[in-house]
Amino acid sequence: MLQCIFFLSDAGEVMLEKQMTGHHVDRSICSWFWDYVLSQGGDPSMFLCRVADVLTDYLGGLNEDVIKDNFVIVYELLDEMMDNGVPLTTEPNILREMLAPPNIVSKMLSVVTGKNSNVSTKLPDATASSIPWRKINTKHSSNEVYVNLVEEMDAIFNRDGILVKCEIYGEVQVNSHLPGLPDLTLSFSNPSILNDVRFHPCVRFRPWEADQILSFVPPDGEFRLMSYRVKKLKSTPIYVKPHLTSNAGHSRISVLVGIHNDPGKTIDSITVQFQLPLCVSSANFTPNHGTVNILADKTCCWSIGQVPKGKSPSLSGNLVLEADLEKLHVFPVFRVGFRIMGVASSGLQIHRLDVKNTPSEPYKGFRALTRSGEYEVRS
Amino acid sequence: MFHQFSATAESLSKASSLVLRIGTDAHLYDDPDDVSIGPLLESRFDSEKVDALKRLLALLAQGSDVSQFFPQVVKNVASQSLELKKLVYLYLLHYAEKRQNEALLSINCFQKDLSDTNPLVRAWALRTMAGIRLHAVAPLVLRAITKCARDPSAYVRKCAAYALPKLYDLHHDEDNSSFEELVDILLNDHSPGVVGAAAAAFKSVCPSSLFLIAKSFRRLCEILPDVEEWGQIVLIEILLRYIIARHGIVKESIMFSLSTMSTTPVADGFPTFSGTSGSCQTLVGTTCDVNMITLMCKSYIDGQIECFAQTGCSNSSDDKLDLSLTSSTNDDVVMLLRCTSPLLWSHNSAVVLAAAGVHWIMAPRENIERIIKPLLFILRSCQASKYVILCNLLVFAKAVPPFFSQYYEDFFVCSYDTYQIRALKLEILSIIATESSIPIILQEFQDYVKDPDRRFVADTVAAIGLCAQRLPMVASACLEGLLAITFYESSLSSSSQIDGEAGVLVQAIMSIKAIIKQNPDSYDRVIVQLACNLDRIKIPAARALVIWIIGEYSVIGQIIPKVVPSILNYLAWSFTSEEPDTKLQILNTAAKVLLCAQGADSLAFRKILSYFIELAKYDINYDNGRMHHEPGGKILNGKMHSSISSTKSSRIYLPGSLSQIVLHAASGYEPLPKPCSLLNTDLTAGVVNETNDSDISSGSSIEESGSVYDSDHSSISSDDGNESVNDSNDTESTALAVRNDVQDVREKTLVDVSNVNVCVDDSNENTKGNLSAFISTDLAELMPKLALESWLDEEPGVSSIQTSQQASSGRISINNLNCTVTPKLHSLLDPTTNNGLRVEYAFSYEISTISSMLVLVEIFFENCSSEPIKNIALKDGESSSSVESSDQVLGESESLLRTANVPPVLSTEEIASLDPGQRVKKLIEIRFPHHLLPLKLVVTCNGKKFSTKLWPDIGYFLKPLSMNTSAFIDHERQLPGMFEYSKRCTFKDHIEKIAPVKDDSSIHSDKIILLSQILTSKVLSNCNVSLVCADIPVSFNIDDASGLCLRFSGELLSNSKPCLISILVEGKFSEPFVLTVKINCEETVFGLNLLNRVAAFLQ
Repeated sequence: MLQCIFFLSDAGEVMLEKQMTGHHVDRSICSWFWDYVLSQGGDPSMFLCRVADVLTDYLGGLNEDVIKDNFVIVYELLDEMMDNGVPLTTEPNILREMLAPPNIVSKMLSVVTGKNSNVSTKLPDATASSIPWRKINTKHSSNEVYVNLVEEMDAIFNRDGILVKCEIYGEVQVNSHLPGLPDLTLSFSNPSILNDVRFHPCVRFRPWEADQILSFVPPDGEFRLMSYRVKKLKSTPIYVKPHLTSNAGHSRISVLVGIHNDPGKTIDSITVQFQLPLCVSSANFTPNHGTVNILADKTCCWSIGQVPKGKSPSLSGNLVLEADLEKLHVFPVFRVGFRIMGVASSGLQIHRLDVKNTPSEPYKGFRALTRSGEYEVRS
Repeated sequence: MFHQFSATAESLSKASSLVLRIGTDAHLYDDPDDVSIGPLLESRFDSEKVDALKRLLALLAQGSDVSQFFPQVVKNVASQSLELKKLVYLYLLHYAEKRQNEALLSINCFQKDLSDTNPLVRAWALRTMAGIRLHAVAPLVLRAITKCARDPSAYVRKCAAYALPKLYDLHHDEDNSSFEELVDILLNDHSPGVVGAAAAAFKSVCPSSLFLIAKSFRRLCEILPDVEEWGQIVLIEILLRYIIARHGIVKESIMFSLSTMSTTPVADGFPTFSGTSGSCQTLVGTTCDVNMITLMCKSYIDGQIECFAQTGCSNSSDDKLDLSLTSSTNDDVVMLLRCTSPLLWSHNSAVVLAAAGVHWIMAPRENIERIIKPLLFILRSCQASKYVILCNLLVFAKAVPPFFSQYYEDFFVCSYDTYQIRALKLEILSIIATESSIPIILQEFQDYVKDPDRRFVADTVAAIGLCAQRLPMVASACLEGLLAITFYESSLSSSSQIDGEAGVLVQAIMSIKAIIKQNPDSYDRVIVQLACNLDRIKIPAARALVIWIIGEYSVIGQIIPKVVPSILNYLAWSFTSEEPDTKLQILNTAAKVLLCAQGADSLAFRKILSYFIELAKYDINYDNGRMHHEPGGKILNGKMHSSISSTKSSRIYLPGSLSQIVLHAASGYEPLPKPCSLLNTDLTAGVVNETNDSDISSGSSIEESGSVYDSDHSSISSDDGNESVNDSNDTESTALAVRNDVQDVREKTLVDVSNVNVCVDDSNENTKGNLSAFISTDLAELMPKLALESWLDEEPGVSSIQTSQQASSGRISINNLNCTVTPKLHSLLDPTTNNGLRVEYAFSYEISTISSMLVLVEIFFENCSSEPIKNIALKDGESSSSVESSDQVLGESESLLRTANVPPVLSTEEIASLDPGQRVKKLIEIRFPHHLLPLKLVVTCNGKKFSTKLWPDIGYFLKPLSMNTSAFIDHERQLPGMFEYSKRCTFKDHIEKIAPVKDDSSIHSDKIILLSQILTSKVLSNCNVSLVCADIPVSFNIDDASGLCLRFSGELLSNSKPCLISILVEGKFSEPFVLTVKINCEETVFGLNLLNRVAAFLQ
């Protein structure tokens, strides 16, 4: 049971407080929290994660300004999501019907007319139905369903450049705009490669247990139907080879990036990010492709974009250590980002998607995307 | 250069956000008080009020106290705009407890809203009403919840379930039955959403009433997958507790995995096991830590406090755990496991953890492994979930490491992990490492050592030490690595002191020490290596450790004794420049060496020691100065620095609980119930309940029948009442009695309905009046008796009396209507339920002379049997508890506190004997706990006791206050706004009464006077007030009675505050009239309840 929720700004000041139960919690607790808990990192409540997710979803981000802009909505949302400190309604579809999320149109309207009510006057029907994730009478001019495979590749290369661990965390995202109460079945050609699965509440357990088929009545709009994991992959699409030398007060860093196993599609948005050790007082880098930014917390961000033809991107630079240090004894970890459109790196393939219970055959679209997840190269 | 860039980036993002902020509420947040809020709240336009409330919320969010606007805000609670309502509720919930008196003013509106057609409005009203925490309205809230628990909208029922804990938190007494009953109704709801909420209510209201679960266990299991995710978590926990309490521990489970090697199986089927040390091979062929599991099992069941008390004597014979066992083939167990296993695929990490917890505790060992992968998959979600799951995995891994040993890759640390997560992963890795996986894990550890986070590096070093201790085959390899780290670190720290480096070095030496300790003989070279590098190790704590190692193992092997003298010489040279800790260890070591030395060496050692002692004597540090008295007395116990501190690791809480994360019992934490603590008698009690509740079991029952109470009673009274002799439910028997009474009256038909001048006759009763009295004294008072339609149609009384008064032109005021009153008889004890004694009561119009808190009641005893009844007495039912509860209810009223010592019933003397047919009247004075709550009474006759309830009539908590019309209007003006409540109702009685008169040639004013008389006698028969005047309109329309206004006045018995009742009539004689009842009273709650009562008996 949650007693209260405080929203703290980046500076640790209370921006918003919502007391949940009769036992008021003084806001002075926040300074304690700021000093002790945050310095340790971590927050133990899974529910707060959900609150943050929903707020992000609603407001298109979660930061100081956004909360200030929409503090009334935040209050109203919190009130809907929790009652007496226990979760009340957390299903995003229902919340959206109860409280209209802010958007450009409503903002413009409020500027023009001076009126702005986002509180629904009606209880959404879905609160009473056995499938709370779906509106009862959905009507659409469009009749289409899109299935996206979005995969994130997690990989660890150890300091010898050997691939220690490589796995795919994937999500089956569905964007459905179907009228009525459609019944969908989705099957894969190779479900056996899936190591772990988790499902949206709409997925029926039985068909999966028996035949590994996803059978479900979809919510309206975009949602995550399933997430899965494929472990023990053997190769990655790109390689990053960092090289650090440090001797007698002179430290050099060089990073080489290249395509390893060509996935057949372009790899774009390639970035390499690393944090300079604290003992480095300054650094200069020269890339032969792309740009390098160094942020205030000594994070270096090298944006490469696409690998150019006939040239392999490299970065080299000198590090100046603090006065009394002779050589580096700690080495940064390089985080790599990339994106490949049209490829599901795990090899998971959708076999077919059947839609029943719709007046006419809907348009079905499939897409795939692989991007980097926790992809790191130690040096 | 870094700073410059970030500054421009920041200003850029600020500029862009400014553009985007047009049309949002940002300006309200930034300057909430740039306009004055007060006038905005008084505005006629909803939009301005909304604006004002948003500003108030902004101020509230920023931490300023804006409670001074409370009265103005409260007025807006009646607004029709939902947005405004929502904002008002948000404000109210924050300040209501602080501004109790003003908050009471909003109750009226909540009551109205509870009957709104929009379920959203009903739900909000209930949530807010329950949330504002006013003790005075607790009974009203209970009624509201009772009503909403049967609402047709599932959302409202869900809110009713959530409101229960709020009310329970605010006010509860020993008698939990009304709460339990409501929880039971809600748990049996057909909507999964409501069941989830009911589970939450169950957990906080009556967590130990597991018999409620017993009857619907299977249904709850089946509905589990459909319950929404947060509800699932609670429901799973409750079901688990039920199984443990009902059936005990499953004998194939982890919790009882030791039964196979139990040393003392007791013959009577309750095997016990005691904590044997070491690890064991079990059936499945996996090793597990016996002590750990024993500890875990005890912690789960006994809770931490008892468990700690026991660990103190863990080796004694009383450290036995008696477990009641069941088998995994038990139907209930199988059911629960089957229904929770799909939840391991849930998207919600908390649900997965809860389901996994059930399997961990209940499932047979072979099947537990299915929970491992889903748990590990949670590691790929948000950081917070990661941390929670790791805390739980740590306990699982400690108990049965083999489950996790093949999944070591999942615990590899990556740069995205926070420090806490890294530390937990390291600890788990060091526990689950096996001989096959350790090379890969050590390889991984080598990478970690170069990580920039030195704290993490220190933990890694500790983990290496742990691995080496667990797996002796890698010990020497680990030792080499650790030595390399030691020398590398000591070379580093010579050049500069970097934050955290010291920790790594100290930890490395500690790990070395721990490894050496396991097998000192084979590591003598390591010790020499350390000793030789002593001058390079600069950190005092590290030096102290190395010196301790030298002293401890000074006689081991061949080489050490040879180098010891030179080391001591070196130390003698450096002693004065050492830190205090190191000095202590030098003394310690010197003493140890001397004790072990033989022959020639000992002389040299003695010299060195005495030199040290000489130096120590003059040390500034007191401890060192004293040290020479007790050489060898103090030995530094090098504690492992790693986070596995001894006390914390033995704290185990239920998987998935907050307590397991913070490692202390968080508020609300309950260990599992004692196995088989749920007795069969409890269960049968539950079953009896079930049969009683059968017709109100589902929330949808309201759709089929009218008021649930009506259906309930009618079903019983159809059995002619005799069935209910066994029925212990007081409410029902009272209600039944009243109904029988009604039937009696119908048979007699003594009442001359057309007679306006009703005679004062005790036995005569108005049939309809009695019915309405029954309804109003019942709990159903808040809701009209008809079904859904009627209680939704109930329109809030909005029209003001004043305007319609002005509408009629002339009026005559009469203050002496020649009418008589009929006090109503209520049945206290029905002759059919006992051996023929009928006890009835009527409220007296006299006022008690003893205390203002006492209400006079006339009791009539009548013998309906053919034999005399002896020794009749009337006593208070429960003397102590009712007094307490009444204090709680009316605790605010000071006058009550003064009279709190007055007993509830001032009983009269016993009636020795009552002949057949004889009727005796007694006058007793009663102090009711509350103007709505019944008083429990016990009637004894012929040596038998009959308990019953005396329902108060709110109309008799008043006494007449005579005043003239102008005084009445003055008083009315002094009680405006929130002290004024009105309600509309229809009045039909006149149609049959006045219809015969219509044929006569009487003039229309007579008809109006007749109507006034009917109304007046009705009011006076139900309330102890006096008629001030009857304003009769002079109108040209003979058939129109619109504008007739009756005024009554009274004052509260308890505090003599005036209470004014006005009744305004609208409509024509041929149709039902619309009556607007208005009450002005300072006591809001009382006034509201009186209003409901008056409206009920007029209808």
